[in-house]
Amino acid sequence: MTSSKNLNVTLIFLFVFVVCFFYADFSISTLDPSSEIKHFFSGLLDINILHIPNYFEAILNTIFIAVLAIFFSTVFGFIFSLYMKSTIVRVILAFMRSIHELFWALLFLQIFGLSTLTALFAIVIPYSATLGKVYAEILEEYEVFPKELEPLNSSRVSTFLYTKLPDAIPHLISYTLYRFECALKSTAILGFVGLTTLGYYLHGAFMQGYYADVWLLLLIFYFIIASLKVWFTKYSAPLWLIGGFLYLDNFGGFSWHNFVRFITNDIVPSPIRKNQSIEQTYQWFENIALNEIMPGIFNTIVLTQVALIITALFALLTYPLISKKFVNKSCFVGSSFLMVVLRSTPEYILAYFFLQIFGPSMLPAVIALSLHNGAIIAYIMGQQSDEVKLRIDSTNRKAELYLYEITPRIYGSFLAFLFYRWEVIMRESAILGILGIATLGFFVDSAIADIRLDKVVILLFFTALLNILVDFISRYVRSYLKINTTVKSSCDLI
Amino acid sequence: MIYLDNETISYENNIVLNSISLSIQEGEKVALLGKSGSGKSTLLKSIYHSHSLNCSYIPQELGLVNNLSVFHNVYISRLDKNSSFYNIRNLLIPIQKEKDIIKPILDALYMEEFMFKKIDELSGGQKQRTAIARAILQNNKILLADEPISALDEVVTKQVLSQIQKSFNTIVCALHNVDVALEYFDRVIGIKDGTIVLDKKCSDITSIDTQKLYHVCDDQF
Repeated sequence: MTSSKNLNVTLIFLFVFVVCFFYADFSISTLDPSSEIKHFFSGLLDINILHIPNYFEAILNTIFIAVLAIFFSTVFGFIFSLYMKSTIVRVILAFMRSIHELFWALLFLQIFGLSTLTALFAIVIPYSATLGKVYAEILEEYEVFPKELEPLNSSRVSTFLYTKLPDAIPHLISYTLYRFECALKSTAILGFVGLTTLGYYLHGAFMQGYYADVWLLLLIFYFIIASLKVWFTKYSAPLWLIGGFLYLDNFGGFSWHNFVRFITNDIVPSPIRKNQSIEQTYQWFENIALNEIMPGIFNTIVLTQVALIITALFALLTYPLISKKFVNKSCFVGSSFLMVVLRSTPEYILAYFFLQIFGPSMLPAVIALSLHNGAIIAYIMGQQSDEVKLRIDSTNRKAELYLYEITPRIYGSFLAFLFYRWEVIMRESAILGILGIATLGFFVDSAIADIRLDKVVILLFFTALLNILVDFISRYVRSYLKINTTVKSSCDLI
Repeated sequence: MIYLDNETISYENNIVLNSISLSIQEGEKVALLGKSGSGKSTLLKSIYHSHSLNCSYIPQELGLVNNLSVFHNVYISRLDKNSSFYNIRNLLIPIQKEKDIIKPILDALYMEEFMFKKIDELSGGQKQRTAIARAILQNNKILLADEPISALDEVVTKQVLSQIQKSFNTIVCALHNVDVALEYFDRVIGIKDGTIVLDKKCSDITSIDTQKLYHVCDDQF
């Protein structure tokens, strides 16, 4: 039965894909994409490592902001996790995490300006909400201590610390470290809106066509991520934290006046601010709904659904390259390396890169989303396929192995991974609007440029709502497919 | 002291305990014999739920916290005796006073050298003794234990059982070893398919009874 359910879901999503595909704009507007690509890759040969010192400040900024952000996110996330049973908390957290950190950054820029505080708020808000949700799930998984053995009158704190936390803590730490890696990527990306992290210089180098510097910055970024376990250990973490507080001195951007103005004036819908009639207010809203919210939502869905299916195809086609059952060792090492690079490069940077090559359309966004997310899923599928135990007399022919033995066996969990990633793809689709594709991010960005923050807030509200809806459908589909993925395997996907 | 009157428990239409009536007097040491699935665990649990205030309970899966040391696992029974602050302090750095209380119990169970080992690093028998130490520290009159010594060798079994007998006035202990039951307990209750098939003082057990008990405990039948 389950396999026919798999088929049903696959067919429905393929159908949606076909419909969306007709509406998607895949035009190439640059004159000569191939020379641009050549130009970009030739930059690899001109890398000048003497430029590294120019980026020391950006490197330290990126690391320290990420450290502080994950510290606060962990603290708040942990507190949230204890209150996840409350519906209000769950709804608030759902909104907090369904808005992309770049959107939060754009919003806080209006209050705190280009300061460390903006960066911290932008990351801590969505991250603490995600951590809270996942921490709660992890803690629930470790709720195994028999109720009969809890001393009757002991405090909840003591019982929690002695009977629940110790067994859950290794899992909590490993998820937090994974999130720290994500925080490093997010912090780097924040540079694209002007905060002086690595993304700031990456953006600059891209704009000026200094591709050698683009490569250098990317390599620095990969190096920081790849060597994470070396420089960030349980002994060095406290030092990084203290260092962060000492090094990042730009906390002073907070102006109470700005904050009050933001809350009581800027984000209040303009017809209300101007004391206009209900009719005019309605007209104001209708105008935004028809011209921005609806097309924004439509394009975001189109991009998401197209990217989702291309991601799926990419993962399905490439996972054998990172499975020892299909390829030899040297190919395995090579393709694993490539997948790790794609996985570690944030979608935003990939999209930015393809945008330079193909010009603004959905094409660069789809390629970026599919490569990044497809690599993540393919990587896990490759690992899973290695765990599949085959009969001794099973076929040696790769094509048969792929079609009849391995793929059918891991197809169910592949769908689960895909649906976990769906929400992420949707969130990214919205944000890629900043790069000029008419998804919700495009309208948010334009409204910010026009300093119409009331509109920004409304657009963000609908962005969040759309994300929550996708999360809801994804959960429904997963339960329809009866896919039991453990918290452990799903963690690296959220 | 312990009474069950016509107790019937069923899960999803399967009767686990079938109208069991039972009375256990203060000071009795009772062994419950039966193969796995016979209803021993359910019987122990239902006794626990009706007498929880002065019972120490050792479930079959032991209920240990794998990432904590033996010392801290045993200390869990004293969580309600101290303030949260004291408990947190003791979690971070074990307090001498608590070590002085717990060490003799572990000594008597041949567990002193494992006091600060994590549960993860212990053998099955050592884990069982940790759970027993935790039950002893609770300082209750009644012990309800579900196969607490299945992984212990003969010498250790003897020592552990004598410690248990010393520490608890009344004992109801599920076992699957007929010889141990007859040697160390006053009374045996044989259970099969949720009903009591034999209930006698050990001194009154005949060789036919013993055969019956072997039969009741044999998983092959």
